[in-house]
This record gives sequence, C-alpha cells and structure tokens, in this order.
Amino acid sequence: MGDSSAAYIHMVQRLIEECILFNMSREECMEALSKHANIKPVITSTVWKELEKENKEFFEAYTKRREERASEMDAIQRIHSLLLETSSKDTNGNDA
Amino acid sequence: MEGFDFSCENFLDSIDFDDLFVGMEEGDVLPDLEMDAEMLAEFSVSGGEDSALSFERLEDNSRKLLEHDEEEDKLSSGEETVSKRYDESVVTVSNPSTKEGEKGRKSSGQSKNHPGKRKVKVDWTPELHRRFVQAVEQLGVDKAVPSRILELMGIDCLTRHNIASHLQKYRSHRKHLLAREAEAASWSQRRHQMYGAAAPAAGGGGSKRDNGPWLAPIMGFPPMAPVHHFRPLHVWGHPPPMDQPLLHVWTKHMALSPPPPTWPPPPSPHPPPPPSDPSFWHSHHPRVPNSLTPGTPFFPQPLVPKRFPTPPVPGIPPHAMFKVEPGMIAAPAGQTSPRPPLDFHPSKESIDAVIGDALAKPWQPLPLGLKPPSLDGVMVELQRQGIQKIPPTCT
Repeated sequence: MGDSSAAYIHMVQRLIEECILFNMSREECMEALSKHANIKPVITSTVWKELEKENKEFFEAYTKRREERASEMDAIQRIHSLLLETSSKDTNGNDA
Repeated sequence: MEGFDFSCENFLDSIDFDDLFVGMEEGDVLPDLEMDAEMLAEFSVSGGEDSALSFERLEDNSRKLLEHDEEEDKLSSGEETVSKRYDESVVTVSNPSTKEGEKGRKSSGQSKNHPGKRKVKVDWTPELHRRFVQAVEQLGVDKAVPSRILELMGIDCLTRHNIASHLQKYRSHRKHLLAREAEAASWSQRRHQMYGAAAPAAGGGGSKRDNGPWLAPIMGFPPMAPVHHFRPLHVWGHPPPMDQPLLHVWTKHMALSPPPPTWPPPPSPHPPPPPSDPSFWHSHHPRVPNSLTPGTPFFPQPLVPKRFPTPPVPGIPPHAMFKVEPGMIAAPAGQTSPRPPLDFHPSKESIDAVIGDALAKPWQPLPLGLKPPSLDGVMVELQRQGIQKIPPTCT
C-alpha cells in the first residue's frame, strides 16, 4: 500500500504541476483533476498544500504572479471596453 | 571592459590596446624567456657599434638565443637613424629612463638614445597592432612565428622579442575571449533549446493558454520529451510582458541553430556554434546587435550576460537560464502587447492527453520539477480528512 500511495501521490503532483502550467488556482486544479482524472478534490488539495510547504518560494511567486495578472486582466478589460465605447461614439456621431 | 563606442570612426585610435593587456605581464617581457643578468652580460657589447652592424648581430643573437635587453639596447643606439624614417609611421619606441619606472606604455615617440642596457618599450598603437594581427592571421594564429611576423610586418624598429611577447599576450587574450564566448554561446544555446522545445507545446496545447511566468511551458507537456532531464525550476522569475512574442522568436532561432544540449556549461575550448565567426579576435556573437563587423581588430567583446528584466527571485541558481542577447529582445520589439492571457481553458482533448500521459508514463520527469511533498505529511493529512486509502476506490 505504501508504494502505490507514493506512486499515486506522485501522479497527483505531476497533474498539479500541469495545472500550474495553466496558471490555475488551487481550487481550479481541484476541480479539473476531479473532473478529468477522477481525483478527489481533497486529495488534490492536500497534495497541493504539501507541495506548497515544500516549495514555498515557488508558490509565493506563483501566487503573486497570478494576482498581478488578474489586475492586468482588469486593466485590459477596462481599456477594451473604453475603446469599444469610444469607437461606438464615433460611429454614432459620424455624418458624412 | 570600458564601454567603447563602436560607431565612432576613429575608435581604433581611441583604444589603448595596452589596456587590454592589463593584468598581463607588464612591460615587454616574456617571463619564460627571460634571461639571467649574467647571461646577458656575456652577450653584452659596448654600445658604440654601428647601427647596421648591431642589427645584424641582433638577428643572429635572436636566432640563437632568447631575447633580452641587449637587443633593445642595440636598437636604441640605432634608433636615432631609423626613427626619422619611421617618424610618419606610428611605430614609436620609447626609452624609459629607468627600468622600474615607466612600465606603462603611455610614453610615446621619444627617440632618445640611451646608452647602456635599456628596455625599449614598444608602443603598440592601433595601426601597429593591426599590422601585427594581419601578419598573424596570414600565418595562422597557431603557426605564427615571431620572426615571420616580423618579416611580414616589415618594421625595423620591432624586435623579435617585441613581437614574441605581444604574440603571447594576443594568444592569451584570444583564449580568454574564446572561452567567454563559448560559455556565452552555450548558455544561449540552452536557452534556445528551452524555448524551442516550448514553442510547439505552447502552440499545440491550447492557444489561449497563458504561458507561465517561469517559462513553465518550456518543460511543457510530457509529449514534448524535453531535451534533457533538467530542472527548469529555476525559471520561476517574473517574466517580461513580452513573454509571448519572445517564444516565437526563440522558435525561429531554434530553427537556425539546433545545437546539441549541453549541461552544465563548461567553458569549452571548442569553437562556438556555426553561426559565430570563427575568427574570434574579430568576432562578435552574431546575435549581439552592437557587435563589430569582422575586420575591426582588437575588439574584445564585452560579453555581459544580459538578463531578462526579472526581479531577482530567490532560488534561481547562479547560471541563470535568463541570459538573453539584446538582439533577441529587439527582434520582437514590434509586438510588445502580450497576448491577453485571460483564461487558460485548455481544450478537453489536451487535458485528456496530459492526464493520459501522466498515468501511462509516470517515469517521465515532472514538468515543473517541484520538490515532492513529504509522503507522511500527505498521508497523515488525508487520514485526517477521512481518506484511508489511496488511490481511493471511488471518487
């Protein structure tokens, strides 16, 4: 049992790493693994947390990065909608 | 190395080649060729000889023996006659008044006639050096023999000794350059591999995927079969915003130069990869935009390892993966807007593929190579949560 547990956990770790490649959060990861690999979210969560303990710096950077990106996203979204707004105004006011 | 302005036309003149030899043996000395004072005395001849005669003698001596101050001496006595001739030429021979003083070669053009044993210091001006290099190249660096170089250069004021010591420095400097360049080349090679390996994965595995900050895509998916089992862990930096475009650039370069992976970077004595100019002294790393064209002598490339503008993240090992030539960054400069990494939705197929692979090939290296969690920790925690066995039999 010990061996297969180790192997299993190793597999979960691998899958978590894949999720990290996709920039997923812990929750998203849990969901994804559960949905696609039939891994209980609690297991995913536990392995994730343990990984976090072992690789503190990495996860700190990861989290920070995600947050930054989130705010970037926001900014982009806002700019995007602003542009749309502006362009639509132009079209409206355009008589030629 | 100071920041030379390569665009300036007379930069040759502005370069003091002596500076390049800083740290090397000062003075016109070949350490292993030095002779004892006693031996020198044996060959000492009074300083009143005819210059022509003395030159002949010089040649004789030089052939039989190693160089020593004596020759410079003879040279100095004959100097006056030749110096006028060579006035226009940039060869200036200076006589330091004392042996200890004036080891520097800044003193120029003093054609004083000092009797007695004096070391005649050759002022290696750009022009002189250029001729030297020409001669050497003609003969072939390894085969370049001082006497032949002297012949080729055809400058009477130079002795074989001068040439020999200059050659020694030249070779040593070249080696140094070579080593640095090889190291630089191998770093960037590895980097290209990394990116090159990643690019297909990035393309294939879900177009909207955000490529992680630490260049995680490099070690992409297991199907990528990473070139070597090497831990890309170190790559966890904060990437520059032009992460995306760069990946494409790397691919291009990957296509150009597919070198074999080497890890770690030994400063190899081999010539750097094909794209580089084999003539290192004149060489420039082809990807460095501010490099000199071949033909400009004596430009030791300041190969400063350039980095991505990443903030230092702890845990990155010293030989950072992030060495990048500025040229690389410049290339995609046009497209600086990052692809909006809004969502990450990988397609279902790719997910399944990934998971399938994970299950089927557990022996493959982990994509990120994170340190594995402590088994006990995990087990204990799981048991706390009510899970006794893993793999669990039901979801």
